[in-house]
Amino acid sequence: MINVTDIHKEYIDGETSVRALRGVSLHIAKGEFLSIAGPSGSGKTTLLNVIGCIDTADSGGLSIDGDRINGAHGVSSRALIEIRRAKIGFVFQSFNLIPVLTAYENVAMALSLLGLAESEIRERTTKILTEVGLAGMEDRRPAKLSGGQQQRVAVARALVKDPLIVLADEPTANLDSETGEAILKLMKSINQRIGTTFVFSTHDQMVMDYADRLCRLHDGLIESDEVRRSA
Amino acid sequence: MPVQDDLQPKRRPHAGPRMLIRLAAKNLTRYRRRTMITASAIAFGVAIFVAMASLLEGLIAEGDRNLANYETGSAALTGQGYWDEREQYPLDILIEDPASILDALDAADIAAAPRVGFRGELIVHYDPYPEDGSAHLSMYGINPERDPRVFRIDEAVTEGRYLEADEHGLLISRWLAERLGAEVGFPVTITTRTRDGFHQIMDLDIVGIYETPNPTVDRRTVFMPLEIADSYLEMQGAVTAVHLALPEAVPGTADLEPVRAALAQAGITLEPAGGDGPDPDNNRDVPGESGAQDHGAATGVELLSFDYMTAEFAAAMELQEAAFGVILFLLGVIAIVGISNTMLMAVLEREREIGMMRAIGMRDGEIRSMFVLEAAGIGLLGGAIGLLIGAGLVGYLATYGIDYSAMLEGVEMDFRFDGVVYGVWNPETMLTTAIGAAALAGVVALIPVRRILKRSVTESLRQH
Repeated sequence: MINVTDIHKEYIDGETSVRALRGVSLHIAKGEFLSIAGPSGSGKTTLLNVIGCIDTADSGGLSIDGDRINGAHGVSSRALIEIRRAKIGFVFQSFNLIPVLTAYENVAMALSLLGLAESEIRERTTKILTEVGLAGMEDRRPAKLSGGQQQRVAVARALVKDPLIVLADEPTANLDSETGEAILKLMKSINQRIGTTFVFSTHDQMVMDYADRLCRLHDGLIESDEVRRSA
Repeated sequence: MPVQDDLQPKRRPHAGPRMLIRLAAKNLTRYRRRTMITASAIAFGVAIFVAMASLLEGLIAEGDRNLANYETGSAALTGQGYWDEREQYPLDILIEDPASILDALDAADIAAAPRVGFRGELIVHYDPYPEDGSAHLSMYGINPERDPRVFRIDEAVTEGRYLEADEHGLLISRWLAERLGAEVGFPVTITTRTRDGFHQIMDLDIVGIYETPNPTVDRRTVFMPLEIADSYLEMQGAVTAVHLALPEAVPGTADLEPVRAALAQAGITLEPAGGDGPDPDNNRDVPGESGAQDHGAATGVELLSFDYMTAEFAAAMELQEAAFGVILFLLGVIAIVGISNTMLMAVLEREREIGMMRAIGMRDGEIRSMFVLEAAGIGLLGGAIGLLIGAGLVGYLATYGIDYSAMLEGVEMDFRFDGVVYGVWNPETMLTTAIGAAALAGVVALIPVRRILKRSVTESLRQH
């Protein structure tokens, strides 16, 4: 489904250059619950950004669902936006909800971008909010929700468009361990029931414990790739 | 299913305008105080602009009325080329036979008043005057019976009385009387030259003091009976102009065709000119434009439109409009700086949010639209408040006006308005201003948004 082949990425930070990815190759199959782990600066966020089409690799190949993203004959930046819009869901460490919108509106926005009819948006948004345990809280703005509830809204926003893959960058880092575990359980149950593919970046052992497959990065290289449970 | 790289734009899903409008509207409430401060700055600009536009229009309308009522009438007949030389008051470019013209116009029921304009020095002496003095002035011999049909000097007499035919009487303005220390009944001496260039001295008594709202007339002009001017200047019945009053809603819109027809009926042929008649848009003609004047072939008489005669005044008003444009520009700058600053802060504070929206697939165009709508919303709010305040100001100006008397007292310029000038209601200008403010605000928002959209999505997401 997603093929990462010999990806390289280098950042220039002032006069220093940082080789964030130094030839990463990875195949992610449909329905996987994959954790990319590693210490700070190991390249896990960069890899997630490249897979999520919000950053481009300097070299190497990336294909998502048959679309060649990187390398020769890669898709245009306009098509990349369409891929992000329709096929990729993001869950951010700091939730990144729009504070002036209610929980319902934050989730519905992802569907509005797809140009769906209001009735379909209403149906799908209500359903996913119930799914993540936020029934009855649709009209609350983020400031009136706890951190865990906000992250549930973010998960709902990522899932509502029924994406090919959900990319979550340290999704529990801003949550206490109990709430973080609840979020992980939620994502895991969705993965098991619906078959949505999840890829996390983390350095949290608890997150790693939940993963079916654990891929460790170190200095921009895959150190180990371990399948713990079959998806 | 693979995403097609060559997707047609119309087939690509897009965020509906409803969502963008809703998002922009909600964002307006995010920084209420900032939104209100910016909207207030815009409201101030719109209100001032609306009030000034109203006043400027009032000034132009008042100027046109005062020109028509005290200097030009709706139109005039003169000797060929007289108007271009009028500042020299030539007595060799004349209408030699005004009687036949007046008869023709009377027959067509067109109000007409002959005048002889000339230059002279008005001299006064100590006792009864406080001191000796003199002034070079414009002097007009007017027909006391006919002149009020075209002009309003008779209504402007505030002390003494209006002129009577054949008397050695003189009307002077209040402005001049105060400076000379003149009163009704005081004698004056006028030195001038006859039609043939010989020196002439006239001894007249002041019979009335007038006060018009046209300072140019008040500061420069005295009036005497036409017969007296004719006699002393040896005009032999000739006049420098015949002024006309024609039906018209506002000066400059009169149809000159009846005048032409009446004169033609009497065998007085004016040289036809293409496209003449009133300007449908009430634009001022400038000398040399077709339709501004008719040249008489047989009589040497030309018919001058109001617009032709007032072209210099129009040019002066255009200068005033240019000054108004500078004020508008400054108000625009205030609005632009205000909205630009507000939107820059909004964009910078929400950079990570913008990054998130781009990450989940919102296009740059949609983000631009959202901020443009947000800024336009502030502009619309400011425009609406400004419109309300502006309407209040215009209401005041239209009812009570502004008294320019004291302001123009010592100013040596050719103004055609004095005293109280009233504002004019112009809903079109008011609405255009408010909508323009909203549109301008929207456009200005593009600048800071563009700056943020140049950054990569990951850069934006890293911002705190």
